[in-house]
Amino acid sequence: MSTHRPEHPGGSEPAQNLDYRIAHLQDRLASGELGELGVRVEARGQTVLLTGTVPSAPCREEILRTVHEELAGVAVHSDLVVTETSSPDHAEELA
Amino acid sequence: MIRIAAVGDIHMGPDSRGLLRPAFETLPECADLLLLAGDLTRHGTPEEARVVAQEVRDLGVPVVAVLGNHDHHDDKPDEVTAILRDVGAHVLEGQGTVVESGGSRIGVAGTKGFGGGFVGRCAGEFGEPVMKEFVRYSRRRADALRAALERLGEEGCDARIALTHYSPVPETLAGEPLEIYPFLGSYLLAEAIDTAGADLAVHGHAHAGSEHGMTSGGVRVRNVAQPVIGRAFHVYHLPVRDHATTGAAAQAAR
Repeated sequence: MSTHRPEHPGGSEPAQNLDYRIAHLQDRLASGELGELGVRVEARGQTVLLTGTVPSAPCREEILRTVHEELAGVAVHSDLVVTETSSPDHAEELA
Repeated sequence: MIRIAAVGDIHMGPDSRGLLRPAFETLPECADLLLLAGDLTRHGTPEEARVVAQEVRDLGVPVVAVLGNHDHHDDKPDEVTAILRDVGAHVLEGQGTVVESGGSRIGVAGTKGFGGGFVGRCAGEFGEPVMKEFVRYSRRRADALRAALERLGEEGCDARIALTHYSPVPETLAGEPLEIYPFLGSYLLAEAIDTAGADLAVHGHAHAGSEHGMTSGGVRVRNVAQPVIGRAFHVYHLPVRDHATTGAAAQAAR
């Protein structure tokens, strides 16, 4: 009978678990300087995908900087778009 | 016809100063009032509120706003409200206001609202004190919205609009993960709107949601979160009805 017990029965080191790293990133985006709750962060295979609309280009740059810092070593694909600020070209008629 | 411009979730900060002003300056040509559906700032700081105030001051159309959860983050909602009121915006929390514009009397009842979820998939007033308070907080906001809409009904407006930050219906959340719906709105808001009656309900908060929805009582709902509408604002043309249809007579007719 083996008496060997893995140091981490659940698998990888918690600090390396991508799920938790993503959760911590989202906490940091929400509660930090950015107050950003509108960015979706999802694991896609070995990479992470960012989607959502952000208020300004500087805001997007700051988010990406934070993401790369928090997820160092993970490939990140960003599809974040900056919100459109033009006037509408039509109105909706509510009958 | 009443022309209603609306946007929510503009999330302004010092780096977005002036971004919306060019579009807002076109409002007198296309709208009778501007509704702001909360999350006007990122953290609810006075500094951010002053950016919003400069964006909406002296627009030439009345501005009616509610605050959102972001506008509460810095625990200074009263200060944010005061800064916006200083430039003439009507900021509502469980209140109504009547603005006269374009020859019409437009009643707007507003509350931030809160979460809790939707019928059959919602939080209940049960268990731990914090859970009960969560639901009571949401209920108090919905009750205040209903009372404000009812008062507007008695005042004989040409139209009554319910303005919230959180959503009254799940349809306008389509696109958001189902798991977070209880944090995005509450059926209590829809029940208040259907009980008191309204011509339109406008909300924000759900950036990945959808624009169009309807309460089970038949009131149109529009999610005007800026990421959803993809513009500085959207405009809705509402036919002017007989005063009787927005007031007590409408209730009696149901």
